[in-house]
Amino acid sequence: MKKKSFFAALSFAAVLTFSLTAFAGTMLNGAGASFPYPVYSAWGYTYNKATGLKLNYQSIGSGGGQRQIMNRTVDFGASDAPLNPDKLEKENLLQFPAVIGGVVPVVNIPGIKAGELKLDPETLTRIFLGEIISWDDEKVKALNPTLRLPSKKITVVHRSDGSGTTAIFTTYLSQVSIEWKEKVGAGKAVRWPVGIGGKGNEGVANYVKRVRYSIGYVEFAYAKQNKLTYTLLKNAAWNFVKPSFESFQDAAASGNFDPEKDFYLWLVNSPGKNSWPISGATFILLAKEKNASNVKVVKFFDWAFNNGNEIARKLTYVPLPDSLKDSIRNYWKAQGIY
Amino acid sequence: MPVLFKKNAGDRIFSLVTAVSSLSVLALIAGILWVLLAESSPAIEKFGFFRFITSTDWNPVTESFGAATNLFGTAVTTVLSLLIAVPVAIGIAIFITEVAPHYLKGPIGVAIELLAAIPSIIYGMWGLFTLVPIMSHYVEPALQNTIGKLPFIGILFKGTPMGIDLLTASVILSIMIIPFTASIARDAFNLTPAVMKESAYALGATKWEAIKNIVFSYSKLGVFGGIVLSLGRALGETMAIAFVLGNNHRITSSLLDAAATITVTLANEFTEADTDIYLSSLFYLALILFVLSFITLAIAKLFLLKAERRYSR
Amino acid sequence: MNRENVRKLNSRIALSLSTIAALSGLFWLIFILGDVLVKGISALGPALFTNDPVPPGMEGGGLKNAFVGQLMITFFATLIGVPVGILGGTFLAEYARGRKISKIISIFSDIMVSIPSIVIGTFIYAIIVKPAGHFSGWAGAMALAIIMIPVVLRTTENMLSLVPWTLREAAFALGAPYYKVIIQVVYRGAAAGILTGILLSIARVAGETAPLLFTSFNNSYFSTNMNEPIASLTVTIFQYAMGPYDDWHKQAWAASLMITIFILMLTILGRLAIRWRYGKR
Repeated sequence: MKKKSFFAALSFAAVLTFSLTAFAGTMLNGAGASFPYPVYSAWGYTYNKATGLKLNYQSIGSGGGQRQIMNRTVDFGASDAPLNPDKLEKENLLQFPAVIGGVVPVVNIPGIKAGELKLDPETLTRIFLGEIISWDDEKVKALNPTLRLPSKKITVVHRSDGSGTTAIFTTYLSQVSIEWKEKVGAGKAVRWPVGIGGKGNEGVANYVKRVRYSIGYVEFAYAKQNKLTYTLLKNAAWNFVKPSFESFQDAAASGNFDPEKDFYLWLVNSPGKNSWPISGATFILLAKEKNASNVKVVKFFDWAFNNGNEIARKLTYVPLPDSLKDSIRNYWKAQGIY
Repeated sequence: MPVLFKKNAGDRIFSLVTAVSSLSVLALIAGILWVLLAESSPAIEKFGFFRFITSTDWNPVTESFGAATNLFGTAVTTVLSLLIAVPVAIGIAIFITEVAPHYLKGPIGVAIELLAAIPSIIYGMWGLFTLVPIMSHYVEPALQNTIGKLPFIGILFKGTPMGIDLLTASVILSIMIIPFTASIARDAFNLTPAVMKESAYALGATKWEAIKNIVFSYSKLGVFGGIVLSLGRALGETMAIAFVLGNNHRITSSLLDAAATITVTLANEFTEADTDIYLSSLFYLALILFVLSFITLAIAKLFLLKAERRYSR
Repeated sequence: MNRENVRKLNSRIALSLSTIAALSGLFWLIFILGDVLVKGISALGPALFTNDPVPPGMEGGGLKNAFVGQLMITFFATLIGVPVGILGGTFLAEYARGRKISKIISIFSDIMVSIPSIVIGTFIYAIIVKPAGHFSGWAGAMALAIIMIPVVLRTTENMLSLVPWTLREAAFALGAPYYKVIIQVVYRGAAAGILTGILLSIARVAGETAPLLFTSFNNSYFSTNMNEPIASLTVTIFQYAMGPYDDWHKQAWAASLMITIFILMLTILGRLAIRWRYGKR
């Protein structure tokens, strides 16, 4: 027994040193936003098929992505909530957008199909404030005179983790409602007045699917892949718009991403006629000093910029405009990682 | 005794290696305490102790954190699950030791132990997919239509029966603790000398009277220790309830509302916390949980030791 | 009714209630196991074991990476935890037998056995993941090893104590030093019991999820590199069951079935080993 354990300890030490030296760095590890998880994992999968290189992306929420890259526990972090240039400077980070998408309200009301329910900023805010508590509320009815709305209590589903999707959503609510701004505010995690919390876009989608008469918000790809009932929303131009590739693209067109500010920009409540009002870019964060791994990460995203547009479109993410891609490449060049 | 052996080089080395190994347990406990203290010190400095445990604020935007909502969730799920589990567990123990025919004792005992071996994540997943719909469609509406109509108690069952709430979490937790409590209670009951029970029967006692008056009084220390031990277990359980608790940082009056426990908050927010004070507050929660369960488990151990000493006399 | 009958009735009611309690315990066991079995089997297929995960929405993903990762983490945890546990238990039952330190350590070990496993996860995050700068399989294995140590330590102590003292005296009489007596005589006498302890401790950690969340983390690729994040069945079950995709749910059930079978087999084996050695208790 003693001999055995001695051998065990020896082989343990041997394996430890072996694995420390032999395998380091065959895989890129990223973590963060669940918003772009469907597209990053599809990109990673195809990239792996094409090049043999592995990109391990774990969807843990944007807050997690920021935390883990600040602690340098991953090769790159991902966040839908951009960090402002000061914060990036302080943490010694680089930042660039990767893809654009939209956050959509999703509901679970038996009998109501996707794209049928109309909401405006006021009703949406008041539902999430817990002021509208039933689906047959006068305000909701007024927007949807033709729908049969049940007299059932609304269950609000929000995120439990630090989330860029939440940041985009609450930034939007803060812009359209003073009451929201004062009572709750905007951030990756906020003090929700009502509701239950799901972990990640995945968790919110799952809870909305399982809890009847609920409402939540998820990135559109989650709504689409899981056939959730998304709603229409009244945008800044007072049009009811449907979440779609076109309406996200319209919102993206209004954005002016500035490399001088590390592309810091929110795309919510865009003025365009057909803009989806809760759109956003999702960002990649790199540790400035980790040149070696940054080169690999950048190589991956350069590949995705060149070859990933079709995959992104299929999942209803909007690829970045070519001009923006070029300005990101210049940003990389300036850092000596491209 | 051990002192008798001759000291030689081999023994010196081997005894040293074994001593270090066994001391690793103490080192680990001290290490955990020290590391958690160190990691949570920014939060301790910022929020203090009483303010931290009484504040219901859990607000990452303003970076203001308090443990009260988490402590509330932990307390409610723990107490409620024990209220459900303990009577059932004691019933099972009575059945195995006193009621069951001999050929059933083994199989039922094994079944209970298997129930205890199922990992908590299985309970959690089963809870979300199987128990939640049952609770939200049948059990909770039924409760609302019966006890929910009573004054005072009714408050506990207000709200939407969505199944993702304190009640469902407590039910799952209780199913998890039942086998654990039952096997300790069974072991305690088994230690009652047969002679004492027989003398009770000789005096004309019914079986229940013998159990109530002889077995219970003989084993109460052990059973009580077992209950406290289960309490310690329930305090720290994470995965079984992480699926169905709903992560809601509020203190609610209804059992049909979502809530958060220390463990579930840690599981959901630990890798995601983005600011230092946020992470430090989570470590602070872990520290509180560690100390709470340590004290609970120590008390349980104390009772069990006392019980052991009494029987061995 | 006279008093006699009331007492008899009371007795009957109480005992019936206890029978109902026992039946309800069995009911849950059958309900849960049956559910896992039915839903798990319908999702089992060769692809589960031979393929790695694919992005959500695509067909044909499996959990090969998680099966291998789980085995590796558990294996290395055993490699670290079991020797420490056995040696520690040896000290308590042999060199420190009857001393106060022995009693104290075994009490602390008993407490340690029930310390919330998620706390151990936060501890390892602070001492390994953060300084190393990344999540890793080693961190996960260390977290599980810490959970194993007190379990193995206590069973070893108990099992060694059951070996009759006269056996050691016989060996001493032949002039053998104590350490040789322990290794060649005492360990052999307690082998079945120690094996049980090892099996049960593996069963205990194989289903652990909470301590892996912040240590070994997760990995969507096949990896045998313990120095990187590594997938495990349990963390994958958590991710998949909480996710919205039906395909994920199916795989989570299948993974749950496999892990439950593995653990129940270990548990039963452990019980058999002890029964075989020490007869019916």
